[in-house]
Amino acid sequence: MLLEIAHLTVRYEKAVLINDLNLYVDTGELVSLVGPNGAGKSTTLRAISGLVAWEREIKRRSAGSEIVLEGTVTFNGERIDQIPAHEIVQRGLVLCPERRRPFREMTVLENLLAGAYLQKDRQKCRETLDKVYDLFPLLRHRSHQIAGTLSGGEQQMLAIGRAFMSDPKLLCIDEPSTGLAPLIRQEVFEKISEISRLGITILLVEQEVSVIFKMASRNYVLSSGKILAQGTGQQLLADEVLRKTYLGL
Amino acid sequence: MNIIITGLITGSMLALLAISFSLIFGVARIVNIAHTAFYMVAAYCIFSLTGKFGLNPVAGMMIAVVVVTVLGLLAYKFLIDPIREHEAAVLIATIALAMIFQEAVMLIFTGDYRTVSALIEGYFIVTGVKVFYQQVLTFGVVLVILGILWVLLMKTKLGLAIRSTAEDREVANLMGMNDSRLAMITMGISVALAGFTGAVLAPLTVLSPYMWMEPLIMMMAVVVLGGLGSIKGSFVAAYILGFTEALVVFMIPKGAFLKGSVALSIMILVLLLRPEGLFGISFEEER
Ligand SMILES: Nc1ncnc2c1ncn2[C@@H]1O[C@H](COP(=O)(O)OP(=O)(O)OP(=O)(O)O)[C@@H](O)[C@H]1O
Ligand SMILES: [Mg+2]
Repeated sequence: MLLEIAHLTVRYEKAVLINDLNLYVDTGELVSLVGPNGAGKSTTLRAISGLVAWEREIKRRSAGSEIVLEGTVTFNGERIDQIPAHEIVQRGLVLCPERRRPFREMTVLENLLAGAYLQKDRQKCRETLDKVYDLFPLLRHRSHQIAGTLSGGEQQMLAIGRAFMSDPKLLCIDEPSTGLAPLIRQEVFEKISEISRLGITILLVEQEVSVIFKMASRNYVLSSGKILAQGTGQQLLADEVLRKTYLGL
Repeated sequence: MNIIITGLITGSMLALLAISFSLIFGVARIVNIAHTAFYMVAAYCIFSLTGKFGLNPVAGMMIAVVVVTVLGLLAYKFLIDPIREHEAAVLIATIALAMIFQEAVMLIFTGDYRTVSALIEGYFIVTGVKVFYQQVLTFGVVLVILGILWVLLMKTKLGLAIRSTAEDREVANLMGMNDSRLAMITMGISVALAGFTGAVLAPLTVLSPYMWMEPLIMMMAVVVLGGLGSIKGSFVAAYILGFTEALVVFMIPKGAFLKGSVALSIMILVLLLRPEGLFGISFEEER
């Protein structure tokens, strides 16, 4: 098992965002995490990548609302739930965040180099950059353009490319297709499949259930912070209630 | 000619102050009111090192910058860092810090006006106006420092991390950038630059325990005009204000006392007409 989440609970003040969640991802898999708006998908990804703990520290310092984070996250055989966010990347768990969030004032190339911040080896950095450029040729052509001026689809490619630069063993991608035109969505999904074929394990949060179920080896359905069901796309779609109520199909 | 020289020097000095002030604001959202108080401490350091201890002026400058940087880092570690996420508390704490510096200087050096001798004496005359070598030197050195700062920010890994953290601290963490450590480093750079400005300006100005207030207001006006957090904005706005100030002082008879009010008027006008400043980004996207 590359990633194992056990009994994860996240509370903001009284609100329970994640409730005793268990989930695992094996090496080489593409696993999806789906569910309605506000289910806690992003919170799950933020918890495993250390951002919830990071936010908790800030809230604690500013005497703001209290955040509770319980349970264990094991990555590559090591407990990472007590490790700060900036050290989790180093271990190969990389998050491509919701709403893409490129560094808008920096160039495409600078964004990509920021992704490779921890890469000390210049040669290796260049090689990874070439891989990203091969994967997303448009980024090569736009390398000196300011990221804020890219279209939504291009910004998504940049966000994925930037995450790729961090040399992920497990790449978590949060809603890459949201807000994009259908053709662009398709392209984004193709790129994700391509990255998966390169041997990188992927945990994907998405709304587009019909497409995702075909791509993923296993899927988790999340609602109100709880895992409702898991299985292959076929298994999940066979469940009438689940399909109608939670998957909107 | 006088206007140009004064404008250039005031502008460059303001640019250094405003950029270094913006830097730590951008990375850690710290509004450091004591910023120009560090500048004052540096000036007094030079005064006592060269005057009292008879040190070579260049060595005096170096030591002054180091002293101020260490002071800044200590203040950060023990005063600012524990309350860093409380913006109002940081504001109050840094005002207190500025007051402490002011009173300390008052105690040690008394309130008398002091001067620091020029690094190089003499002047040359251009179109009938005296240009002191010290003015040229100060201007040149400030430009060099601005250049070095630009290279540091735009061409190095540290600069990339500082800019990333300033733009999106959370995402920067996702790339492995430690925002606490970067805040500390940036504080060091920011205060060192304030100290440096004080050091190069000391020979051109009169030292007093209140000398931090006027540049503070001017610097704030620059930051507001240029747009909070925009380094390019600070740079352009600094020269605009530097020249405006020089114009007012030279064109209006006895205009020197108007200096502060010009800065304040510009600040109020900008806040009314274009709150995001010349190059500022609006804060809508922030969560
Ligand atoms: N900082 C916060 N403080 C309090 N509640 C929050 C916070 N962030 C998110 N929530 C709430 O937690 C719940 C889960 O949010 P989360 O963003 O994880 O959902 P999601 O499944 O990613 O939804 P979406 O599909 O809209 O992205 C939501 O009801 C949201 O309102
Ligand atoms: Mg979400």
